Amino acid sequence: MVREKKICLAASAGGHLSQLLKVAGCTSGYEVFVVTTSETVRAGLASMGRVHVVGECNREHPRRLMGVLLCCVRIIARERPNVIISTGAAPACLCCLLGKLLGARIVWVDSVTNVERISLSGRIIRPLADLFLVQWPELVEKYRGVEYVGAII
Amino acid sequence: MIFLTVGTQFPFDRLVKAIDDLCERGLIHESIVAQIGDSTYQPRHFEAVASLDKSAFDRNFQQASAIIGHAGMGTITMALENSKPLLAMPRRKKYGEVVNDHQVMLAIKFEALGHLLLARDETELADKVEQLKSFVPRPRQVNPDAVTRRISAFLDQV
Repeated sequence: MVREKKICLAASAGGHLSQLLKVAGCTSGYEVFVVTTSETVRAGLASMGRVHVVGECNREHPRRLMGVLLCCVRIIARERPNVIISTGAAPACLCCLLGKLLGARIVWVDSVTNVERISLSGRIIRPLADLFLVQWPELVEKYRGVEYVGAII
Repeated sequence: MIFLTVGTQFPFDRLVKAIDDLCERGLIHESIVAQIGDSTYQPRHFEAVASLDKSAFDRNFQQASAIIGHAGMGTITMALENSKPLLAMPRRKKYGEVVNDHQVMLAIKFEALGHLLLARDETELADKVEQLKSFVPRPRQVNPDAVTRRISAFLDQV
């Protein structure tokens, strides 16, 4: 009866995804689907659940961003995750925003590469996040509502 | 052997050329194997390939006495996991080498923690290459299991 939640793992291919995969054990037993940004990582993720590839985007290419946004709308509206767990970056941030609109809980783990301040995506998500983890203890003093329990890498 | 790996996605000719120049000046005696990604500079003093497959990349990484590279998290993590001394030069946005300057702060932080040697630009490379010969990186304490447990606890409550 427990574990009937559906969980979305969202992360850009590369460093963001490799950090997320190191903590993906937390989804064991749940129904999982993955949203990422490159076909090159699709096969490696197939054992976890359905994999959706939305392509890369960032704030410097607004048109591409809109395309990815539409892609994310379709995925999130169809899948209706209960929880989204993400390490960034922009495409995953879009998924979190859309998921939140549809009632999903948001877990954000800001990437270890953000040493002095949390990422732009993280700053957007922070007020909406239900659990916000950082990987540097110093960041806990700078931002309200963030937690540090250790670094992933 | 020193393994030079500068990442992909954008060229990083500054680093490839600077290492070639150090060879020219006789400041590097070890052989160099290089993966230079999209960089277009053709080094005169060592073999460079655009991209190695994963097994060749891993083999070179493990056989190297030291790593010289960009300050990408993938390179830094791999060096620490293999206990390899790493000399890192950050890619810079202003030269079109990366989309933002996160590598600078990251490298400064990791150098302060004793995990790597940092060359902020080409002018610092000669000194740092010398230091690299005796540099022993401090292992990094990470705790992915604590993060996993924290998220699991959250999921149990949802």
